[in-house]
Amino acid sequence: MAEDKKMKRCPVTLQPDVEGMLSWNDFDADDFESASQEEKEDFIQERQSVSYWKDAWRRLKKNTVAMVALGVIIFLVLFAFVGPYLVPYGYEEFNKGAENLHPFHYALEDQKRLEAEIAARTQTDTMSVDDMIEQAKAEAEAKGEKLSNVEIAKIRAQAKVNTQNTKEEDAVDPEALLGELGIKKKLFGYSTAELERKAAGESVFPHVFGTDMYGRDILVRVMYGARVSMSVGICAAILVLCIGATYGAVSGYCGGKVDAVMQRIVEVIYSVPEMLVVLLIATALKPILTEYVNTGTGPIKSFVAVLGPNLISMFIAFGMLYWVTMSRIIRGQVLQLKQQEYVTAAKALGASGGRIIRRHLIPNCIGQIVVTTCLQIPSAIFLESFLSYLGVGVSAPLPSLGSMATDALSGMYTYTYRLIIPSMVLSVMILAFNLFGDGLRDALDPKLKK
Amino acid sequence: MRLLRSITKVRVIIMGKYVAKRLGMALVTIFLVTCLTFLLMNAVPGSPWLSEKAPSEATLAALNAKYGMDKPVHIQLLKYLQNLLKGDFGVSLKMQKNRAVLSIIGEMFPVSAKVGAIALCWAVLVGVPLGCLAAFKRGKLTDSILRVVCTLGISMPSFVVASILLVTFAGGIASLKIFPTIFDASAGWRSYVLPCFALGFYPMCYTARQTRSAMLDSLNQEFIKTARAKGLKNSKIIFKHALRNALIPVITYLGPQVAFTLCGGFVVESVFSIPGLGRYFVQSIQNRDYPVIMGTTVFLASFIILMNMVVDILYKIADPRIHLTKGGE
Repeated sequence: MAEDKKMKRCPVTLQPDVEGMLSWNDFDADDFESASQEEKEDFIQERQSVSYWKDAWRRLKKNTVAMVALGVIIFLVLFAFVGPYLVPYGYEEFNKGAENLHPFHYALEDQKRLEAEIAARTQTDTMSVDDMIEQAKAEAEAKGEKLSNVEIAKIRAQAKVNTQNTKEEDAVDPEALLGELGIKKKLFGYSTAELERKAAGESVFPHVFGTDMYGRDILVRVMYGARVSMSVGICAAILVLCIGATYGAVSGYCGGKVDAVMQRIVEVIYSVPEMLVVLLIATALKPILTEYVNTGTGPIKSFVAVLGPNLISMFIAFGMLYWVTMSRIIRGQVLQLKQQEYVTAAKALGASGGRIIRRHLIPNCIGQIVVTTCLQIPSAIFLESFLSYLGVGVSAPLPSLGSMATDALSGMYTYTYRLIIPSMVLSVMILAFNLFGDGLRDALDPKLKK
Repeated sequence: MRLLRSITKVRVIIMGKYVAKRLGMALVTIFLVTCLTFLLMNAVPGSPWLSEKAPSEATLAALNAKYGMDKPVHIQLLKYLQNLLKGDFGVSLKMQKNRAVLSIIGEMFPVSAKVGAIALCWAVLVGVPLGCLAAFKRGKLTDSILRVVCTLGISMPSFVVASILLVTFAGGIASLKIFPTIFDASAGWRSYVLPCFALGFYPMCYTARQTRSAMLDSLNQEFIKTARAKGLKNSKIIFKHALRNALIPVITYLGPQVAFTLCGGFVVESVFSIPGLGRYFVQSIQNRDYPVIMGTTVFLASFIILMNMVVDILYKIADPRIHLTKGGE
C-alpha cells in the first residue's frame, strides 16, 4: 500500500478517512485462504462473557471482610462436621477420673512438687487417729493397763480438734504457691491418670477445652453444638426459602383478589409475636413427635427418628412463621418484573403461569433470594440458641451451644471457660454469617450498596 | 382556609378508616393466636395433675370435671373465649393454686415492663446519636469502630451479653464486683443496671445501624444540598433537616423492638432471676399450667400486637408523605 499517497489528515477532523476506506477493497491472494481452526477459536473467544455469578464472585473477592467471614464459615463447617471424627471422645462419653478439668494442666512433676510443698507447709506431725490410738494402746499395755473406751474417745476428739485447727491454719493458697514455685500452666486439660499414661509412652488425646462435671469433653460437645446450630440455621433458611419464594411469587404474579387475600394472611402472621408462638409450638410438638416416633410406622417415622423430634419441631415452628419476610421481598420483586416485556413475550408464546414464575421471574430475583436466605441463617441460629437456653430446644444427651451455656451458669465463677467457650463459638458463627450476608448483598446487588 | 379545612377533614376520615382497619386486623390476629395457643396446648400429652404423686382415677376425673377439662376441645375453647370476653382469665391450676391469672399478670407484668422500658429507652437514646455520629463521620475511624461494635452487638444473643456481664461485673473479677447477681427490686438501681444493659444492647446496635443507613440516605438528598447552599450550620443541617427524615424508618422499627425487648426478657429474666412475666411464662410452659400459659400468651400477644398497631398509626400521622389509602405498602 502506498503510504505516501495518503493526504496528511488533521488529527481532529470529523471527515471520514476516505483513503483508508478505499484500501479496504485491496485484497491479496492469501486473504482468500480458509481460516485455520486456531484462528477461528481466537476470533470467537476474543472476549469471554462474564456471567452474573462470576461478576458477583469478582466483587465479593474484593470485599476483604466478607472473604474473612467466608473463611471463618468454612472453618466452622469443618470444625462441626469433620472435627468430631478427629477427636476420640464422644459427646455423651463420661471420662472417669477426668471430671471438671480446666483447659490447662500442670505437669506431673510440678503436681508432685506442689503436693510436697503443701505437705511441708502444713504441720507434718499430724498422725492419723488410728495410729494415735494404736500408740496409746501400746503405751497402756506397756504399763500393764488396758485402754478404756472413754480414753479412746478422748483421743479421737483430741485428734479431731487438731485436724480442724490445722485446717484453719493451713490456709495455704494453692494459687499463690504456684506463683512462688514458678509452676506454669500448660495448655490443654489432662487428668492425672492420663498424664501418667502419657508419661508411660501412650499417646493420649488432650481435653483441649477441658471437661464438664461428668467428665465429658467440652471440645467435642462444642463441635456437636455447632453442628446442631448450623444444621438448624441452614435447614430453616431453606425451608423459609421454599415457602416464602413460592408464596411471594404466586401472590405477586396473580395479583388482584388472590394477592389481596394472600397479603391479609401475611399481615396477620407478620404481627403474631414470633418468639411467643415459636416457644409454644416447640414445646407442644416435641412430645407429640416423640410419641409418634415411639408408636408410628412408615418412612416418615424413620425420617423423624433420624433427625430427632426436637429439631423437627423447631423447623416446623420456624417454617410456619418466618417465611413472611421472604415472601414480601419476593412479591415486591415479582410485581416489578412482571411488567417486563419478556414476561409478555412468554405469555404470548403460550407459557403457563407456573412456567413463567419458574423460568423467568424466580431466576431474575435470584440475587435477592440468595441474600435473604443467607441473612436468615443467623436469625435461625439465634432462635435455636434462645430456645435451647430456655430448655425447650435440643434435648438432653445431644448438646447445643445454648444449653451448654445454661448448664455452665451454675459454676459460672469457678469454671468460666464452660460458659465463655460455647458463647464465643455461637457469637462468632452468627457474626460470620451476618458479615458474609452483608458482603453477599453488596456483591449481588450493587445498587443497594451505600 | 376553607380548602385547608376540608383537606384536614378528608384526612381525618381516611385516618379513621385506617385505624378501624388496623384495629380489626389486630383483633383477628389476637383471636387466631388465642385459638392456636389453646389447640396446641391441648394437643400436648400430659396434664397439670401428673407431676405430683399420681392421683387416683376418681380424683383425676373429679379434677377434670371441676375445671371443665372433661369436655371436648372445641367446647372448652368456646367457654374460654366467652370468659375471656368477660375479662376472666381463669385461675392457676398448679403454680399458685387457685389464684386468678389476671392478678398474677398484674403482679408480674410491671416488673417486666419496667426493665423493658428502661432497656428500650437507653437503646434508643444511645443508638440514635451513635448512628448519626457514624453517618456523619462516614468512612473515618469512628465509623469503622462503631460498625464493628454494632455488628458484634447484633451477633450476640442476649444471654451471651448477660453472661459476660455477670462474669465481669458481678463477681468473676473480685475488684469489679459492683452489681448484684440476682435481681432484687428493693435493692435500688444497682439491680437494674446489668439486666437493662443486657436487654438493651441488641436493640441499641440495631437502632444505630438503622439510623446510620437512614441518615446516609437523607444526607444524600437534594434538600440537604440546598440547606448547605444556604449556609446553614452543620449542627442545624443534621438535627433539623437530616435527622427528622432519618428518624421515620427508625420509628417503624420501634414496634417490633418492643416485642423483641419483651421476648428477649424471657432469657434475661431467667439469667438474673427477675420475678417478671417472661420467666413466669417459661415456667408455666414447663409446668403445664394451662390457664397461666393461656393468660400470659394472650396478654403478651395482645400487648405486642397493639403496640405494633399504635406505632404504625403514629408513623402514618408523623409522615404526611405516606398515603393512607394504599394500606401497608
